Amino acid sequence: MADELIIALDGLALGLLLYCVATGLSLALGVAGVFQLSHGAFFLAGTCMAWWLAESGSWLGFFAALAAGLVSGGVAGGGLAVLLRPLTNHLDQVLATIGIGLVLVDLLTTGHGAQPRSVQAPPGLDRSVVLLGHAYPTYRLVVIVVAAALAVLLYLTVEASRAGALVRAVAADAGYVATLGVEPRRAQLLVMAAGGALATGTGVLGAPILGPAPGLDSSVLTLSLIIVVAGGLGSMRGSLAAALLVGQIQTTAAVAWPLAAPFLLLVLLVVGLVWRARRTTAGIRVT
Amino acid sequence: MMLRRTLPPTVGLICGLLLAACTGSSLDSETTEAAPGKDLTIGVVVPQSGPYQPIGADMLKGWTAYLERHGNKLGGRTVKYVLADEGDGGPTARAAVDRLITNDHVDAIVGVANADAVNNIAGPATAAHTPFIGTGGRPSTLSDLSFVWHTSFDSRDYGKAAGPYLKANVDGPVYAIGPDYQGGKDQVGGFVAAFTAAGGTLANPGGQPTYTPWPGDGNFGPWLTKIKESGAKAVYAFYAGAPAIAFVKQYQQFGVGLPLYGPAFLTEGAALAAQGAAANGITTVATYDPTLDNPGNAAFVADYKARNGGAAPNLYAETIYAAGALLDKAITAAGATASGEQINTAIGKLGTVTSPRGTWTLSPTTHTPVQRWCVRKAQAAGTGMANVVIKPDLTTLGG
Repeated sequence: MADELIIALDGLALGLLLYCVATGLSLALGVAGVFQLSHGAFFLAGTCMAWWLAESGSWLGFFAALAAGLVSGGVAGGGLAVLLRPLTNHLDQVLATIGIGLVLVDLLTTGHGAQPRSVQAPPGLDRSVVLLGHAYPTYRLVVIVVAAALAVLLYLTVEASRAGALVRAVAADAGYVATLGVEPRRAQLLVMAAGGALATGTGVLGAPILGPAPGLDSSVLTLSLIIVVAGGLGSMRGSLAAALLVGQIQTTAAVAWPLAAPFLLLVLLVVGLVWRARRTTAGIRVT
Repeated sequence: MMLRRTLPPTVGLICGLLLAACTGSSLDSETTEAAPGKDLTIGVVVPQSGPYQPIGADMLKGWTAYLERHGNKLGGRTVKYVLADEGDGGPTARAAVDRLITNDHVDAIVGVANADAVNNIAGPATAAHTPFIGTGGRPSTLSDLSFVWHTSFDSRDYGKAAGPYLKANVDGPVYAIGPDYQGGKDQVGGFVAAFTAAGGTLANPGGQPTYTPWPGDGNFGPWLTKIKESGAKAVYAFYAGAPAIAFVKQYQQFGVGLPLYGPAFLTEGAALAAQGAAANGITTVATYDPTLDNPGNAAFVADYKARNGGAAPNLYAETIYAAGALLDKAITAAGATASGEQINTAIGKLGTVTSPRGTWTLSPTTHTPVQRWCVRKAQAAGTGMANVVIKPDLTTLGG
């Protein structure tokens, strides 16, 4: 039983990491109305920064990578918002951001080599602690705490602050918000910048667990899309539930039912879509 | 809201595009003219991307070492080679071999690390009557071997050699684990068959070996936790390249604390350097080690070190070096104007091949080496880690 709990804990670390990434995607989609499909490449960029600056594990390198990740992710996200402004059609946005993502991944691959790399956790956190009679890497516990704190902060910001109310208002009806004298474009720019910083920053944080590797961008993007769609666009609680489920599917289910686990992701997607479609047709407000 | 209406078809489109992007394309860094007269064009397929990229780099070093030591000639004929990417063994490898055969009209194909890629390459090579000299895992799934040869090993051979050794050295059940692709199943399956035939029992639940997702995300935590609860006295694991680094490091982080055994790949080349102290005490079975005592090996190691900044060769460099030796001997026998098909016939009549690991026999039935196996243990050496041969003559098997 103890081993199941440890595996579930590992799934929790992965799920919370994915939640932080997916929230950026969800905000870009819901508020800025942008299909940000280079989001996975942003995450990969964060893991690469961790590898460049903190490969063998140092606190200075770790914080330098975190700062570089947050700033560059924020600037790139904001830049993307400006760049994509003329593209109001979703298909155009999809093609443009996929293209930007491919170029970014190619640049990163040229920099770090087309092979997986491992990044060491900062000193002191690269050890293990004993939990329920099992050794468990300390860094993963730290990730759980940091990602959980970040999730709470995101929730409070979007659901309970004045800025969050504005963001939600822009998502619901940007034109109406404009009549109140608020420039919706500015909110969209800030949200895209925050989304970019979230993806790249989470990449730095997650690098000792999910190191830079070919294909990491598309696997993170696919999981984030599943979380956003299954959890409901713009729903913080729905995304959290979906992210935690995805985390467990990738760990607990992958060990218990190795053949079925990849299909469970699709089941989650379908159940999420059908569940919300039913609620919409019943005339209940979707959140 | 418009977004909600357009979401499902857009997500479908995205998934399609992602799938299309995943298939990738092959790279070529060197192109050659169609070979006139007696010159030869050899296709070299090694991983230049994906989890086995470091293995591909070592293979390329081994191949160029052979050519340059022999004046860029095989059997007296000038050789040009065309490099192609194997990727993670799937569509990239398939595209690479199609292009080598139809565009570059190669006389022979050498290389390949991943046993899955062999499945993609053997068919087209055989159809084109082009000899294919594999240098990595040979999967158990091939039916037509007429143009397929390996200088390395059958993927099941490692387990065959290791099974009785673990039975004799481990007092209790063993947990067997590897990646979920054909080469992983052959490597681990070969071990399970030999280990249970010798009277050993598996600690895995249900008595079946455990397979982890391939290529996977590099997180072995959940499986390592399961190993600790299984009551195993030792672990036999097949991982190579980057996954070997992640597995061995996490094996220590998760405090598994059981003796770890595996085929040579687990602690080979770049993997061992990156694992560092986490690799201490890992026992592997191998066919090649740079410390093997024979004159050919000493010269090879000295030359290889001089070319590569003091780095010692490993099994990946040796198997493709051996492919050069095999072709050299076969082309000499086949003659100055022999076609790929005639070279293939000559390979079948070679009998023995001498490479840095020693002299070995090419089995006439399986087209894989019958060779000597040794046991090594990873230990601290100087500032880094090294494999030390603890049992030079474990067994002779293969074919």
